[in-house]
Amino acid sequence: MNKKPLYSVMGALMVLALLLAACGTAETPTEAPAEPTTTAQEPVQEEPTAVPPPEEPTEEGPCLIIGALHGGPINDAGYNQAMHESVMAIADNIDCVEIIEAENVPEEAGATTTIENMISEGAGMIIATAFNHQYPALELAGKYPDVIFEHAGGWEMSGNFANFFGEPPEAWYLMGVAAGNMTETDKLGFVAAFPLGWTLTFANAFHLGALSVNPDVETTVSYTFNWGDSAKEADATNALINQGADVITMHVDSPATVISTAETRGAYSVGFQSLHAQEFAPEYWISGTGYTLGDTLTWLTSTVLDGTWEPIFLRCGLWDGCMAMAPFGPRVPQEVQDEVMDVSAVLEAGDLVVFAGPIYDQDGNVVVAEGEVLTPDLMSSVDWLVQGMVGSSQ
Amino acid sequence: MTALAILGVLSSALFSGASLLYATLGETINQRAGIVNLGLEGVLLISGATAVAVTSLTGNPYFGILAAVLAGGLTNIIMAFLVVTRKGNQLASGLALMFFGFGVSALIGRAFVGLRIDGLPRFALPGLANLPPRYSSLFQFDMLIYLAIPAAVFVWWLLFRTRWGLGVRAVGENADTAFAAGRNPNLVKYQALFAGGLLAGLGAAHLTIAYVLNWSEFMTGGRGFIAIALVIFSKWNPIRAIAGALLFSGAVAFQLLLQASGVEISPFLLDTLPYLLTILVLMLWGGSRKYAAPASLGRVYMGTE
Repeated sequence: MNKKPLYSVMGALMVLALLLAACGTAETPTEAPAEPTTTAQEPVQEEPTAVPPPEEPTEEGPCLIIGALHGGPINDAGYNQAMHESVMAIADNIDCVEIIEAENVPEEAGATTTIENMISEGAGMIIATAFNHQYPALELAGKYPDVIFEHAGGWEMSGNFANFFGEPPEAWYLMGVAAGNMTETDKLGFVAAFPLGWTLTFANAFHLGALSVNPDVETTVSYTFNWGDSAKEADATNALINQGADVITMHVDSPATVISTAETRGAYSVGFQSLHAQEFAPEYWISGTGYTLGDTLTWLTSTVLDGTWEPIFLRCGLWDGCMAMAPFGPRVPQEVQDEVMDVSAVLEAGDLVVFAGPIYDQDGNVVVAEGEVLTPDLMSSVDWLVQGMVGSSQ
Repeated sequence: MTALAILGVLSSALFSGASLLYATLGETINQRAGIVNLGLEGVLLISGATAVAVTSLTGNPYFGILAAVLAGGLTNIIMAFLVVTRKGNQLASGLALMFFGFGVSALIGRAFVGLRIDGLPRFALPGLANLPPRYSSLFQFDMLIYLAIPAAVFVWWLLFRTRWGLGVRAVGENADTAFAAGRNPNLVKYQALFAGGLLAGLGAAHLTIAYVLNWSEFMTGGRGFIAIALVIFSKWNPIRAIAGALLFSGAVAFQLLLQASGVEISPFLLDTLPYLLTILVLMLWGGSRKYAAPASLGRVYMGTE
């Protein structure tokens, strides 16, 4: 008996069902980057069930619709979660704002489609949080001059495109101070994704902080070449610990794996990206920093709402509330905590600058001359590691 | 290169190699039956997501392992349906399964990203527990790692010393002949795929709830394809698969060690080391009849209609 017609009909029905399902869930595409086909095929105008306006547009409708896109999942206990919470803070602070969020937006290709979808659903402001969303967003800013674009961590500017970010280096320096005090082997480990300017800057700031309290300290940088390959991160953490490091920190999307692995080996950990990281290391946690950009984004939104928005290169640090320090872990002695807070006060007052010369790189060359200071716009293109660090900078 | 560093490479090789070994063993059974399952990556992801989901919901990692093993078996049954019953092209079906796995695993795992789960308990063999903590923590293995090599021996025994294994290999060499000899090739293939899926699920369970202890999308990072390569590398022999899995994960750990010890080679280049090693071995131990693939590998069995 030939079952082929039956199977063909079943197959066709399933495909149809999938296409219709794709229409209905347009605003949070969590599809894998390998399957952009379903949303790309739907001409945007035809989506009948596009936006879920279920939660009442108030009598007048939302005063502003904000579209936010993230490069990864919003519950990763890392960067994406920190950004997600910052965006949600806008809605908490300003009632009439409506937020459309998309997570797992693949770096560039999907970003363009997603932003366009959001604009077609009425977004007046786009917040792009992944590093590689910058250029797609910039291009679309040119195409939609009435929509405001804010990008996290970039540097491009235009009439309706600006960027914002925290200032991690000072926070990293403080973490270094804590780590330099806590280490017993004088070896620190840094698990990094790629040898990018910012990553090197963070590692450098961390090492400089540790050096300031412990001149014998050595920081080793190890790359996984992936923002989120957990098994590789676990391997890299183990390799660093096997080399003698007893404090581990990282610059990858989610600190979860690195911290859990360090915890199972009995090594200290310093967190980054989001304050939730502390949950993974109940015992050997030292401290951590995370982005808390909620108030900043609320302020930016309010300027958009009252028409005073201007493109600015917004950077704000620990003492402006854009970054926060996690509580200290149970094993950190009071003297170390006090020292970190003292250094924090000195940094805040401006009496100490993290990247003030002279700074030497691993080969002994001067990279920041005496009397000079490394400026933020140069930090993103750093390609050296401070003397006393182990690892490649390229 | 201190003793700690070298032992560390060995330890990492065992840790990350265990899940790779289970996946390779599963794929070995599949390929011995004549089916190339390119969707192994998808199977691993679905099983991994299931493992994390169930462990997180029930708080019991053993339920997680059980769920993952079943999920792996069932996903492979989908492959079996496509390839055996519907006689689809194996490579295309496998790839389709892989993409399916990407999506389904992301869906299952979505609520569990970034959650901390209590993994399998780890313990060291009696003698090793008395070393200083940094050393003894190297040898704290969970039970799945201890079972990995015995599992390989078991699969070898299954394929080469049992009637069922003989049937699987016969179907993989020439399904028509096997049919003439009284076996049911379609049933054997289903069974082989199910068994292979169970093992793949075990590998994924180990990766997520014993090694990495959390879930993130695409977290297997290509391990499925590495496993497929290792099956060929080990010439479809489960015992040699042990060497393959350990060699590969040892190479990954070794290149990370080189990076961490400040060696002057670019980290990008070091990162390719494990894959270069695999290619090298594939080139050297080329094709003699003894090491050849199952003759019907990749071929669709049309039956006798």
